[in-house]
Amino acid sequence: MNQSSKLFRLIILALFGSISMVLMLVNFPLPMLPPYLKIDFSEIPALIAAILFTPVAGIVVEGLKNTLYLIYTGAADPVGVVANFTAGVLFVVPVAMIYHKFKSTKSLVSGLVIGSIIMTVAMSVLNYFLVLPAYSWFMGWETMSASVKWTTIIAGILPFNALKGIIVGTLFVLLFAKMEPWLKQKRVRSSTAA
Amino acid sequence: MSNSMIIGQYVPGESFVHRLDPRSKIAIIFFFVLIVFFANSVMSYGLLALFAIGAAASSKVPLPYIMKGLKPVWFLIIFTFLLHLIVTKEGDVLYNLWGWKIYEEGLVQGAAISLRFFLLILVTSLLTLTTTPIEITDAIEELLGPLKKIRFPVHELALMMSISLRFIPTLMQETEKISKAQASRGVDFRTGSFKDRIKAVIPLLVPLFVSAFKRAEELAMAMEARGYRGGEGRTKLRELSISKLDYYLYALFILLIIGLFLTRS
Repeated sequence: MNQSSKLFRLIILALFGSISMVLMLVNFPLPMLPPYLKIDFSEIPALIAAILFTPVAGIVVEGLKNTLYLIYTGAADPVGVVANFTAGVLFVVPVAMIYHKFKSTKSLVSGLVIGSIIMTVAMSVLNYFLVLPAYSWFMGWETMSASVKWTTIIAGILPFNALKGIIVGTLFVLLFAKMEPWLKQKRVRSSTAA
Repeated sequence: MSNSMIIGQYVPGESFVHRLDPRSKIAIIFFFVLIVFFANSVMSYGLLALFAIGAAASSKVPLPYIMKGLKPVWFLIIFTFLLHLIVTKEGDVLYNLWGWKIYEEGLVQGAAISLRFFLLILVTSLLTLTTTPIEITDAIEELLGPLKKIRFPVHELALMMSISLRFIPTLMQETEKISKAQASRGVDFRTGSFKDRIKAVIPLLVPLFVSAFKRAEELAMAMEARGYRGGEGRTKLRELSISKLDYYLYALFILLIIGLFLTRS
């Protein structure tokens, strides 16, 4: 890869990071779920970057988004930021890996389904062992009992991540169908010269 | 989205805290967060509170701005306090309210942990209140400098961070502009079923991505034309420098640590 397309890639990922952060700020809370679980579309730019370039590009966009969020809002909730980053990576990376292996719209859909499942399952497990204990440590609460943790996960975290996967996945498929020809053209251009 | 959503918290100023090197601020905050967990007596909490509130006061950031930074966590602080008051059942009964007993230990623990939480948030939000995002990025780049040895792309990441920061306000405006333009064409973002509302986001996202590509192409070309060729030997417009003020801060902080370990029980 020559210097100028490397620079172009760097800049486009930076801009995707900003778009992601802007989309994160316009989140809308879903009814029925507690307010700290918010659905937003900030995963979309990371997905596009991962599909257009490599899965690592998706991780970079996720990382940028969360760092920007932390710098702008102050470190009021570092645990939530780390959890958001982990969830994003667990969602984006499987989708991109499956897509890059088969390169078809069908593989994109199955990738999104598998990505959602991986994110939902892994986040439930991680919440049980890491995130919820980290929260209770950070807030100085009593350590949550296993049953309290399970209730939180079954009632809040699991449906939230599943729903997030479904909503973001649906939106992405619709968006991708519209943008595919254009993205293909961009991919050719950015891998030869920008 | 509206004009009320001013993002970023930076409040310009010329105070002691503003003039500190951002690297010092980040390092001190990191160690402060660590030592907060060592406090266990009234005196040791008092010392930490004195340091944090003293820092906030000397920053001359108006109180409403500081309070705004704390707004998202007030609920958690109060919730934590009440939780301890209800759950902890040790020590003497201080007060009996129709069978609901408040125990001494509960009050003490609740107060201590809420205070700890409050101090953590106060000190970290002081960083974003007195340091511009770009200074924070520069400081992170410098602090991560040693990672260059293991070929971690520190410069590239810092460049991306500063480009992102530069474009956030632009993209916020653009998002607002596009959503107004689409609304004037009849796209409805606010009402309709859940599915309709999700679908309405597509005409918002497509122009956003297309214009991002256009901007990136232009910026890449402009940077190349000005001779950008990576981080090797690049000079900076704003150099970070450690001044006398920073040494005062270090001295003060070491005194705080000594004081903390003398007063803890």
